[in-house]
Amino acid sequence: MDEFKQFRELFGTKIGQVIQKPRRLFFVVKEEHLLEIVKYLFDGIGCRLSTATAQETYHGLEILYHFSLDKAGIYFCPRIVISDKQNPKVLSITALVPGAVWIEREMFDLWGIEFVGHPRMEQLLTLNSPENPNQPLRFGRQA
Amino acid sequence: MTGNKIPVGPFHPLLEEAEYFELKVDGETVVDIDMEIGWMHRGHEYISEQKTFTQSIYLVERICGICSTSHPLACVHAIEDIDNIEIPLRARYIRTLVGELERVHSHLLWLGLAGHFIGYDTLWMWAWKYREPTLQMFEAISGNRNHYGMMRVGGVAKDVDPAIIPDLLKILDEIDRKMEMIAKAAKDDPVLKSRLVGVGVLKKEDAIAHCVVGPTARASGVAIDVRKDEPTDAYDLVNFNEIVLKNGDVYDKLVVRVLETIESNKIIRQCLEKLKTVGGPILNNVKEITPGEGIGRYEAPRGEVFHYIRSDGTNRPVRHKVRAPSYVNIPSFVASCKGIPVADVLITLAAVDPCYCCTERALRVVDAHDRPFELDLQRLSRTKTEQIRREIYGK
Repeated sequence: MDEFKQFRELFGTKIGQVIQKPRRLFFVVKEEHLLEIVKYLFDGIGCRLSTATAQETYHGLEILYHFSLDKAGIYFCPRIVISDKQNPKVLSITALVPGAVWIEREMFDLWGIEFVGHPRMEQLLTLNSPENPNQPLRFGRQA
Repeated sequence: MTGNKIPVGPFHPLLEEAEYFELKVDGETVVDIDMEIGWMHRGHEYISEQKTFTQSIYLVERICGICSTSHPLACVHAIEDIDNIEIPLRARYIRTLVGELERVHSHLLWLGLAGHFIGYDTLWMWAWKYREPTLQMFEAISGNRNHYGMMRVGGVAKDVDPAIIPDLLKILDEIDRKMEMIAKAAKDDPVLKSRLVGVGVLKKEDAIAHCVVGPTARASGVAIDVRKDEPTDAYDLVNFNEIVLKNGDVYDKLVVRVLETIESNKIIRQCLEKLKTVGGPILNNVKEITPGEGIGRYEAPRGEVFHYIRSDGTNRPVRHKVRAPSYVNIPSFVASCKGIPVADVLITLAAVDPCYCCTERALRVVDAHDRPFELDLQRLSRTKTEQIRREIYGK
């Protein structure tokens, strides 16, 4: 895909491990380059944020963003790895992508990841729960 | 007078499911809207990670009663994306056939509800009357009117008997005639136009900013459709038009859906004709899923359904992410409801065809002592009712 080639030429030095498939590009990005890359994907080439996936691994907490370039039918997936599991924080992309407001709140709610700069960093799904479930999808969840 | 708040929900006659909206109003005009979700407790993502890949397909079929083909189809696309699994040609046509039948019945369901919401019950009865033959087609093909159980990794579970195709085509002729009639009626009807034109407008720039999908995006001039953008199954083998309008109001959302139903009928007809001649297997034997990650999506009636699956080489997904279209469409109410009269809010909310049980697919509830609540939903319901009673009556 030309779009993948162009992206890797532009940001080759700012991205880490890459997994490329015919229509998917998964790549690791450091937090300091996240907003620059999101700005390029969303404002620069017109990607749409489908959603983001959080997962806890033994290395830390992972956030995988899924940006769809609809006109080409391909996905750019920047991956952020947060090694501090006790106090996970990452920059919010909501200032660039208003459509990320709910998914960042959901990741805060279920995984305990704080998004710095989010306009309303509070629970999304468990806001009205009678008892606070306290990050229910984490491995070592504290009761 | 400013600063007044009007609650809508969480249980409201015009919301089919539980959801809470808080309207901030200045007189009759809505100046802001807040939304609270989390009123239903599902846990599909978590449960899926305890199931095998095949069981997960059945599980995600239960996320939504209306999109009960879209979720399994996106799920198998995600699993197939991990290993680039090929699908037999006959299975590709069957998948497309079932997916488009779902679109027809979903759009007719919404059309009926929309008519009912604005007090136009003739439209409601028409739409639901003509939805019935679509469900009969489903029953003939899969044995079920809902939850068809057709999708498998590598193909489909059940073949379409060539002997029933002539009968299905007859039913389709009847639906086609009625849809043409409804389309003409909807486009010319002064009642619908006077009630819906210019109501709840979602501008194109707001649609892009909120990343909305499906008819909600296409009614606002955003030309996105997974069937065209990343054609899977037989979508690159059939002819159909992508319906895109530009005004973004409730009327355009209605017209998009009505015209899409006609396009879906065209696709169904092409698939049925092909199934008369295209033979071969319907399922490739997939023995294992290698470690890796895959993205699958499908254009559900409400928009793109997104599934992400990560495999570690065992027979279970280690991570299964599901994003339903309503999850991105509902927050766009912030843009479409501001500045409209209170009386227009409910039809504006209904115009994105929100599915709240899809939206809340992720939650796993445990209490403070790590005991899972999901095993005792009655207790959860009682606890919540008691809490609401305490808040209202102070006891």
